[in-house]
Amino acid sequence: MTNSEPLRTEVLSRKDIDNKIRRISSEIIEKHSDRPVAFVGIHTRGVILAQRVFDRVSRHRTDISQGTLDIALYRDDLDNLGTIPSIRGSDLPFSVEGSHIILFDDVLFTGRTIRAALDELMDYGRPARIELAVLVDRGNREVPICPDYLGHGMNTSKAEHVLVCFDEIDGKEGVYTVIGETR
Amino acid sequence: MKPMRRLFKQANIASQDNPMPAIADVLVDESGVIRDVSPDIPPSTDMKVLDCSNKILLPGLFDMHVHLREPGREDKETIETGTNAAINGGISGILAMPNTDPPIDSGGMVRFVRAMARDRSGIPVLTSGCITKGRAGKSLADLADMHTQGAVMITDDGSPVADPYLFRRALEYSRHFDIIVASHCEVPELSRGGAMNEGAQSYRLGLPGIPACSEEISIERDLRLAQCADARIHIQHISTARGLAIIRRFKEEGVRVTCEVTPHHLLFSDNDIQDYNTHLKMNPPLRSPEDNKALLDGLNEGLIDVIATDHAPHTRFEKELDFASSPFGITGLDTALISLFTHLINKGLIGWDCLVRRFASEPRRILQLEPADIVTGSTADFIVFDPNGRTHVNNSFIKSKSINTPYLGLELCGSVDMMVRGTEILLDRGGCRNEPLFSSKGGME
Amino acid sequence: MITEPNPSPVHSRKDLLDIESLSAEEINHLLETAKPFKELFTRSVKKVPALRGKTVLNLFFEPSTRTRASFEIAAKRLSADVTNLAVSQSSVVKGESVLDTVDTMQSMKVDYLVVRHGAAGIPNQIAKHSPASVINAGDGNHAHPTQALLDAFTIKEAMGDFSGRKILIAGDILHSRVARSVSICANKLGMEVGIFGPPTLIPHGHPDYFHTFNSFEHALEWEPEVIYLLRLQLERQSAHFFPSLREYHQVFGMTRERFELVSRKGIYIMHPGPVNRGVELTDEVLTYDRSLINRQVENGIAARMAVLYWLQPGIPSPTIEEKAET
Repeated sequence: MTNSEPLRTEVLSRKDIDNKIRRISSEIIEKHSDRPVAFVGIHTRGVILAQRVFDRVSRHRTDISQGTLDIALYRDDLDNLGTIPSIRGSDLPFSVEGSHIILFDDVLFTGRTIRAALDELMDYGRPARIELAVLVDRGNREVPICPDYLGHGMNTSKAEHVLVCFDEIDGKEGVYTVIGETR
Repeated sequence: MKPMRRLFKQANIASQDNPMPAIADVLVDESGVIRDVSPDIPPSTDMKVLDCSNKILLPGLFDMHVHLREPGREDKETIETGTNAAINGGISGILAMPNTDPPIDSGGMVRFVRAMARDRSGIPVLTSGCITKGRAGKSLADLADMHTQGAVMITDDGSPVADPYLFRRALEYSRHFDIIVASHCEVPELSRGGAMNEGAQSYRLGLPGIPACSEEISIERDLRLAQCADARIHIQHISTARGLAIIRRFKEEGVRVTCEVTPHHLLFSDNDIQDYNTHLKMNPPLRSPEDNKALLDGLNEGLIDVIATDHAPHTRFEKELDFASSPFGITGLDTALISLFTHLINKGLIGWDCLVRRFASEPRRILQLEPADIVTGSTADFIVFDPNGRTHVNNSFIKSKSINTPYLGLELCGSVDMMVRGTEILLDRGGCRNEPLFSSKGGME
Repeated sequence: MITEPNPSPVHSRKDLLDIESLSAEEINHLLETAKPFKELFTRSVKKVPALRGKTVLNLFFEPSTRTRASFEIAAKRLSADVTNLAVSQSSVVKGESVLDTVDTMQSMKVDYLVVRHGAAGIPNQIAKHSPASVINAGDGNHAHPTQALLDAFTIKEAMGDFSGRKILIAGDILHSRVARSVSICANKLGMEVGIFGPPTLIPHGHPDYFHTFNSFEHALEWEPEVIYLLRLQLERQSAHFFPSLREYHQVFGMTRERFELVSRKGIYIMHPGPVNRGVELTDEVLTYDRSLINRQVENGIAARMAVLYWLQPGIPSPTIEEKAET
């Protein structure tokens, strides 16, 4: 890392994001035409992604439940963080037992977040099926996990950061790769 | 090597009469007597000359309240380690308290302790005797025997004589021997179970309190009894403003009362017991900052006669117990002078005259001992103090067998560089020249 | 690499020794953290892996079933391994100091030490000595911080907020570590604190923010929204703090008459348990719909989980003797 200005490159524009979300939504409707599903967003930007997909899908469907997942207590790196993450809690206001769940996250990277999320979901009950939807898959997997619905796939190096910005919390919209800066 | 004359050049000599030391040369002859004190003594070849510029010469201090623990608790302190600690701290004479195990409550015990002290100590160790047999508060100890063997005070220190009838008789009886009765003032029923001063801090820490009135009621009672018996009385380790006010009243009424204060009751308050530090636990307990102020005023005004340490060594194990279970008392011999210098003299809160008077002259006067003034014709009994030095209070500095002092690990201002008694140099930290650091007894060069 | 954690706005500590050293922000953070933990209790698996591989040692020098069980469940729900050790205080005094005992424990490499002891200040002493996180589970008359946290959590659940609310703590204020911790906690959270009890059991030098009253009726006129009844140690009678238990109940206890007034006003009642029926309170209190006593017990687990999750074991500060060596 240097002290120079971080190098920031736009990967997806506002319009691109919108297109990707539209595509994910239609794939979900197509695949789950005959049964209720539950959308579960992983804090923080997975929740927004899930909400946006829900907003589109719910125009056609009324049998979709929503929930949020905070994986803080299931992290496998609590010892190495130096700081303790704060907990916002998970909220799954539907019965997990036997349900069809689609997990949402903004970026798929090592896969460890999804591993933690799966563990947590299982502790609520035994779902019939869990699928995964992500906006960006940046590769570099450390566990065998792959998305069922994907917005955009790309190759990155571990030194890069992939930043997803949503209007709701970041005040701007776009996906960037950054070298030399974290969020 | 044959004894030689010593010339202390350009020393700042502290006395009980001047707040600021005055520069003079001091010549000690081959027999250990101060031959001359004057502005400019010419050196000659048969003199050992010590450059004492920027140093302070003051009379060796006398601590009239010391727990030496021998016999009985030699794991805490012995006469040898205790007197080494005294020398280390600039104290050239001590009065031992009689609450040893067994207690010093007979002529035989007094003789035994005095003989032991003669063998093992480089400084005078006087001893007190008990007021009551076994310090049990039931019957008078044989005073004539103790007095004959050299006891210079009687006290049941550590406890009061709870029975007022017995205490009255002790005061009356003491008059025949003109021996001073000293009192540890406390109403046991009021302080029982207490661990520190009762107040906001004891509430905060959840520790049982010792109310100030426990000490004050006892001071009032004892002074009234001394008045009634027309006896001399010495109130030990006073700690509260009200206690001092009671003493003032009886002094004004002409009662022959003297009293002492410890350095810790001047310098610490119960607010300093922040984290259950057992090195701040003693009896009487540390009181409030207002009491500190009143005691300091009383000292400057002359209402308080004496500074004494109440040196009370305890083992590390005992002081590692929880605050309420650990025993009362902290050590003071090693650190009394440097702590008073750091926190009072250095800040202009007391003068050197006050220190010399209250910690060297008055205790000797009260106990009818030879004064230790730095004047022509008297035997040398003084210390060389370096006000610009620093002392690290760590395990290697402390000569007491115990380390239960709140100064442990801290650095204090000033350093006791040398102690001179007659022809002997009992302590020499090499501040004035290059010589061995510490010689416990006798060995002059 | 895993998703960037949402960093906590409040830094962790090594130990929880009392409420006094916590800021209002830290207390609120713990209460916020306790909430999602309580929600876990509704799941089929009531356990999260946050403290997997960690060891919690319950070191109880003073008997206690409730508090110990509460800590044990809290630790197990965080997937920690829990060992209980009951040490009799008298055996310790004999020649082995508490610190010696802790040294022995240290060889077991525990991460969290939950300590209860009859003497004030023991947890402070252990915390200075041990790299493990020390949680004070009650020390003498000094402090009982997790009790205060679970009580604050319970009050927040019942009333929503703290600011300007009034809590009356009644009973043996002088000897109560619960009263000390609860009053400090309530004050830090912006509540008004009243105390009431026999003058012999009201401490000299209590904090200025305490409202005091000369009768229970007078205290009720102050319009408290919560009355916190303390457990009376029955041996106080023999130390002459009051003449008899009967008289104590009549003058200073929650009698049936006073309870009628209290229930009419809808005042919440709390108690750290276990209760002395007919001493500090009358039986009817136990079935009162605004009694929070059972909820306190339930919330104890969530509050203690929040504490265990928040603390971080670390390096001990050097002891004073070690400093003296240098």
